[in-house]
Amino acid sequence: MVSINRHILRIILMLSYIAVIALVIFGVSSLYSYLNTGADRSSMLHTEIKKVDQYLPKIVWAPLNNEGRPMDEQTLNTIENDYLDAWYVKHMAYKTNKTNGIDDYYTESARENIFNIIEHNTTKNITIEGTTLEHHPILEFFSEDGQLVVITDKDVIEYKRLYENENIVLETKEKSTYKIILLLEDGFWRIRHIIKKETQNYSEDTVAVSNKTITIKGINYYPQATPWNMFGNAFNTDIISKDLKLIKEAGLNSIRIFVPYVDFGKANVDAKKTEKLIQVLDLAEAQELKVVVTLFDFYGDYSVLDWTLNQRHAETIVTALKKHNALLAWDIKNEPNLDFESRGQQQVLAWLDYMADLVKSIDRKHPVTIGWSDAKSAILLKDKLDLITFHYYEDLNDLEKTYENLKLEIPKKPIIITEFGMSSYKGFWNPFGNSESKQASYHKQAQSIFSKNEMSFMSWTLYDFTKIPKEVVGRLPWHKRVQEHFGFINQKGETKPAFEYISKQ
Amino acid sequence: MRLKSTYLLTLAMLLLSFTVSIETVKINDTFRLLTPQTEFEAGHDIVLKFSAMNSSKPNLYLSNSYGSIIIKPVRSRSLLSYQLPKSFSNKAGVVNWKLLNSTLAGKLNIHPKQDVASMETYLGPPSIEAGETDYTMLVVIPTDIYDNPLKDSTQVSIKHQFSANERQDSIYMKNNISYKNIYSKTKTGRILISSESLNKNSKEYDVNILPAIPTDFTITYNRNHEYTDGNQITNFSTSIIKDKYDNIVSDGTYVDFLITNASNYQLKTSGSTVNGIATAKMIHPDHQDNWTVKAFIEGLSESNSISITYNQSVEDFEVAFSERNRIVSIGPLKSFMGQMIPDGLEVKLHIYQNHIKIKTLYKDSFSGYANFNMNPDNFPDNIYTFKIEAAGIKKTYQNIKLW
Repeated sequence: MVSINRHILRIILMLSYIAVIALVIFGVSSLYSYLNTGADRSSMLHTEIKKVDQYLPKIVWAPLNNEGRPMDEQTLNTIENDYLDAWYVKHMAYKTNKTNGIDDYYTESARENIFNIIEHNTTKNITIEGTTLEHHPILEFFSEDGQLVVITDKDVIEYKRLYENENIVLETKEKSTYKIILLLEDGFWRIRHIIKKETQNYSEDTVAVSNKTITIKGINYYPQATPWNMFGNAFNTDIISKDLKLIKEAGLNSIRIFVPYVDFGKANVDAKKTEKLIQVLDLAEAQELKVVVTLFDFYGDYSVLDWTLNQRHAETIVTALKKHNALLAWDIKNEPNLDFESRGQQQVLAWLDYMADLVKSIDRKHPVTIGWSDAKSAILLKDKLDLITFHYYEDLNDLEKTYENLKLEIPKKPIIITEFGMSSYKGFWNPFGNSESKQASYHKQAQSIFSKNEMSFMSWTLYDFTKIPKEVVGRLPWHKRVQEHFGFINQKGETKPAFEYISKQ
Repeated sequence: MRLKSTYLLTLAMLLLSFTVSIETVKINDTFRLLTPQTEFEAGHDIVLKFSAMNSSKPNLYLSNSYGSIIIKPVRSRSLLSYQLPKSFSNKAGVVNWKLLNSTLAGKLNIHPKQDVASMETYLGPPSIEAGETDYTMLVVIPTDIYDNPLKDSTQVSIKHQFSANERQDSIYMKNNISYKNIYSKTKTGRILISSESLNKNSKEYDVNILPAIPTDFTITYNRNHEYTDGNQITNFSTSIIKDKYDNIVSDGTYVDFLITNASNYQLKTSGSTVNGIATAKMIHPDHQDNWTVKAFIEGLSESNSISITYNQSVEDFEVAFSERNRIVSIGPLKSFMGQMIPDGLEVKLHIYQNHIKIKTLYKDSFSGYANFNMNPDNFPDNIYTFKIEAAGIKKTYQNIKLW
């Protein structure tokens, strides 16, 4: 008994000794590692400068032909950066009625003018969300000592939204010409004088694109393994090629794909991703399929100061694809009306209106549409769009009526349903869901309506997916499970009964 | 029951407010602009007047060069007056306006007040090179009291003076500025510059004309004697260095003197100019030598090349061994007049053993002598060969035994 107790005591002593030693070693090592953290050599000198793209309006310099000293490219770049920053801090100042940053980009006497306006707007509770979308500067003069420039900025396109007591009171788009004198002070090119020389209301002349389209029998497409992440590392042309062949053989003639905004690099579009996008269109062309490209997927900001960045993004992608034979139409954004509540209808519509103008100004050939999530929203911006598209997940029995009504409201433009479908999920999370045979009869009914009314359609979607990113329907499993089973082909790769009705009744 | 009436009342009020709000929205063009004037001068009161058919008081949106605001009207009967705030009526440029909730819109032109309050002047570069090709630029922005640059094609006089010349040029504003290039003269000096517009004079500005690049020059030397005592100093100096317009180069112009000796080694000394003359010094060699000297202002100009000969000062010296040959005494080292050479002449003792040099000892002469003491710890008893070198003279002593 005594010896057991002694053993226990001994073991406890040894264990506590080991524990103490371990604690001490842990303490010393964490102190040591703490003392070794901090600035690593590469960041000690702050040699890397991180420039965040905040403001990138389109800027086109006229050929240099200035009086005074000849201009060099580096100085011109610095002037351009500081000049645009001056606009940016001004927009920020009027948006917030605060003067941050103004001192850096306006000389002492020039900033007074801005302060006066801020003061006026503060007392009247006016805020202005504004941005400039295009600049066409001409360098008029550069002084011999390199300290003063005069610029004429022609046809500056300005968008402004004025709020009084947080209500929008005016939206305006103006085209103005300014004369600007900038001085080099403390390493900043600061605005000394800015004088508006001319101004007029501006509206983009919308060119209607010929809307003689084929009857679209299409499908929304994501590869089975990479839904909502089509252009990631798992991008595989073999899989896409096989899928597109399958789609073609099923009797369809078009697909709808999505370009995620952030994933493609926002304002600086990743050339590799664009390359992948072009490859998809090439593959579609090989199968004689047409493609509706949906821009700005997973984008939801819409704020006016973000517009210039959106502009760069759309410009790059539209320019890259606009001559492609497989391109059918541009869908500006998927279901933007769902953001009305959180971002404000007027704000979202202003953004859509501008983006439609922008896409049309770059690509004058292909029709532009917006993929509204319901038929009710489809009348919005109808005059601007070339195609009217909406998504239909309601009762099929009402579809004909809905379509007829819309047709009456917008008689002159083709109307296409770019998403419809039914989930065949029936299980733990949704015991009263639809079976696969119900899905099949749904598609059969849909096809009969389409053929009867000669309607164009694009179904959702080819595959049942196994992984739905949380950005799509959130984290809730009863949403996710349902979203997984909209396909014509199940998770194992077998065709479901609905497949028979993928393109015909 | 009471509750019901409250409900009814609320409902009625709601309905009423709806009809009211609909009425304010439904402003068709019941407004008419009564201010035909669109051209104004900065600083004047600007009031836009409208006649209104109904009782609403819409706000007015205004946008000028710096930003946008919304102002409220003052109403007297059917007249709506919108007074532009000073921050708008004082700044030149186009002001566009829109009457909210209506289709009325328009533009005003505000012109700068043609009266100079300040002459904003930028002058640079502050110094230029003589020779009538280099120039400085004067940029003048005459501004009114509201800090607006004056109208384009306003006349500005640029006045400048250099020695006896005074000159006045007229230029005209363009792109909201006026500028003039002022060229240098052939003489160095200072140009005084001022400007004037609409009887307002600027203050005085000046620009220095600095000499142009130096032309080639000559050098001379000057020494106490021609002997190689390793002690005296030879002075080099340049002629007065000038540019091609005969201006003396700026003080502090750096001149390098390159000396090539008889064995083709180069020595360098340098000096900077004062009143166009640069001087530099070099100590005499300690053995007979021949120097070729040439001076340069790097990349710009050079001098002629001169040659200097130094004659031997120490003709010969004696060497004595003592203390078991462990002390080697060299001297007297006599200079050109037979005087002891000044202290500090370098004497070398090379020690050889079996034709292999094992050590070189150096000593500076002191009172005409140099003594080497060879310690037995360093030089064990043996037979050595000594070579002694001083003032370019070499002497060899073979097989000396140290013990």
